[in-house]
Amino acid sequence: MLKKFALAVSLSAFAAGAAHAADVVVSSKIDTEGTLLGNVIVLALNANGIKTQDRVALGTTPVLRKAITAGEIDIYPEYTGNAGFFFNKADDAAWKNLQQGYDLAKKLDYDANKIVWLTPSPANNTWALAVRNDVAGPNKLKTMSDFGKWVAGGGAAKLVASAEFINSAGALPAFQTTYGFTLKPDQEIVLSGGDTAATIKAAADQTNGANTAMVYGTDGAIQAAELTVLEDDKNVQQVYAPTAIIREEVLKANPKIEVVLAPIFKSLTADELRKLNGKIQVDGEPAKSVAEGYLKEKGFLK
Amino acid sequence: MEETLAVRKLDRLGVVLVTAGIVAIALLPFIYVKANRIAAGKPMLLTQLLNQPSAIILTILLIVTAVAVLFLQNALLRLVISTLCFAALLATIGFAASAFTPPNSNAARMTPGGGFWVLFAVIGLIVSDALVKIELTPWMRIAALVVYTGLLGIFLASGLLDDLSIMKEFATRSAQFWTEALAHLLLAFGSLAIAIVIGLPLGILCFWVPKLRAVVLQGLSLIQTIPSLALFGILMLPLGYLATHVPAAASIGIRGIGAAPALIALILYSLLPIVANTVVGLQGVDPSVRDAAAGMGLTRRQILTRIDLPLAFPVILTGIRIVLVQAIGLVTVAALIGGGGFGIFIFQGLGQTAMDLVLLGAVPTVFFAFSSAVILDAVIDSIRGSAA
Repeated sequence: MLKKFALAVSLSAFAAGAAHAADVVVSSKIDTEGTLLGNVIVLALNANGIKTQDRVALGTTPVLRKAITAGEIDIYPEYTGNAGFFFNKADDAAWKNLQQGYDLAKKLDYDANKIVWLTPSPANNTWALAVRNDVAGPNKLKTMSDFGKWVAGGGAAKLVASAEFINSAGALPAFQTTYGFTLKPDQEIVLSGGDTAATIKAAADQTNGANTAMVYGTDGAIQAAELTVLEDDKNVQQVYAPTAIIREEVLKANPKIEVVLAPIFKSLTADELRKLNGKIQVDGEPAKSVAEGYLKEKGFLK
Repeated sequence: MEETLAVRKLDRLGVVLVTAGIVAIALLPFIYVKANRIAAGKPMLLTQLLNQPSAIILTILLIVTAVAVLFLQNALLRLVISTLCFAALLATIGFAASAFTPPNSNAARMTPGGGFWVLFAVIGLIVSDALVKIELTPWMRIAALVVYTGLLGIFLASGLLDDLSIMKEFATRSAQFWTEALAHLLLAFGSLAIAIVIGLPLGILCFWVPKLRAVVLQGLSLIQTIPSLALFGILMLPLGYLATHVPAAASIGIRGIGAAPALIALILYSLLPIVANTVVGLQGVDPSVRDAAAGMGLTRRQILTRIDLPLAFPVILTGIRIVLVQAIGLVTVAALIGGGGFGIFIFQGLGQTAMDLVLLGAVPTVFFAFSSAVILDAVIDSIRGSAA
């Protein structure tokens, strides 16, 4: 009985390893947006006659990096800002600009690993501040500059954020310096180790009077919580734009991939991603059907 | 018959359980009605559901069960009453979920609250306490497991629980659920099988060569102290290297990510209990039995297969039981390195703060670990029983 199991395990491992070496192995991180974009890539490639092997939601970022550099997966969505950490260049100013960061990531990864960064999304999944709609509307808050003026002029902002966001130099202190405002200690609620799911919930429920939350730009829960994300109009934060990255060898064998994915990724703005992530996270729809619905709605899939 | 209904001294365990149950009913929400997966939700106590027939029946059965637990001597009668109560609990949460689900809403989620889970645990303990008191034979225990699993299966298949949040998560992922279940069990049982093939001879060798024993057991103990995710990570490097530089290795599925590192890590964790229990089991064999066998002219090999191993078998099996339950739990972490299994749901759920999705991964894992423990315990007891 047990030996049969062992045999089955080695056989299934064998089958997985040997399966259609020519298929494009599509993978992604295990988080919501990763799973969404991974499914978008699989569906788009399949619809255009490129055979794929689905390894979506494979694991965490280090796992994906090791897998693609080892050639075990061929394509997955990565964020431009992360390249700074892959190549120990996190302090480079280029990461704060979408195009410059993309160009730098593309060059570094191609030179080191022969990995090609395809067309990025015009979205930014980085630290941002989001304000309750019923506060943002009357006070006309759309950008961080608006927010800075409002708070400096005595606006009653109350921020809920993680200790890391409030203390690390690149986060809240950098926002305060650039946009010329200072939050008093009684305007800050610190959730030690709090993630954005917790801060969004706190602002939505007005816990302890919170009306502003630390968020990631494309968090799916933002819309359901009725928050407005403020645009970082002076580029304080590094840009994390989702981009499909692919091994050059595989791209050369299937040059069509770039043409197929470019318009799709260009269409995925922060608003679209928030909406789609929200369908997965808030409504509990499977990532695959959300991806399929989007591609059909935009006419990429028939 | 007089004896079965005779009032007995208050059962101490019973008092604790009944108190916990009353506190849960009075203070903890039975169900949360949520507009969507991550909304805060409106808590509802069981007492607020009493406009539903199922909740009324459940309340009556809860009172009867409490009385039975406190005063009834007859374990069989207690078993029947508590089992009925258990079924009523499941039915009530199902009916409540259906009653609160707004029509045409896929986003709404009905999540069992703390009150439900405490009652679930309390009644579960009452049922298992009654089963223990009945003193079932090992095989009857497995039969009981089958009966209760079947009961749960009937509830799930009937669609009564379909409006419950965890079943909604299942409904959108039913195909993936079974794939991950298979991956999970293959990894757990596969690593166990390979660990037995390696661990048993290693244990015998350690028993024969005392110098080797200390080295091997200490080495294996050291591995046991490495956190599972770290061990998976450590294995990714050499395996990835092997896969890229030795084509033959890659072609049989040895890769830095996926099932291979997970399988190897699980085998490494499994070796200590198997080797240690093999050594202890063999040490427990009376040397005079071995001398007698040698005196009768049995070879060393015959002594091993006919005397040592059969006598040490129950102890070795105990080691295997530890390993299996441990492996079923540890496989969840394999999801982070692409190994698949129920961990996929757990980690995706954590990332989305969707606790119902976490439960979809956690509940089956607990169920499989629990069932394996019951079955192997029964096997061990039956071997001990027949040897005695």
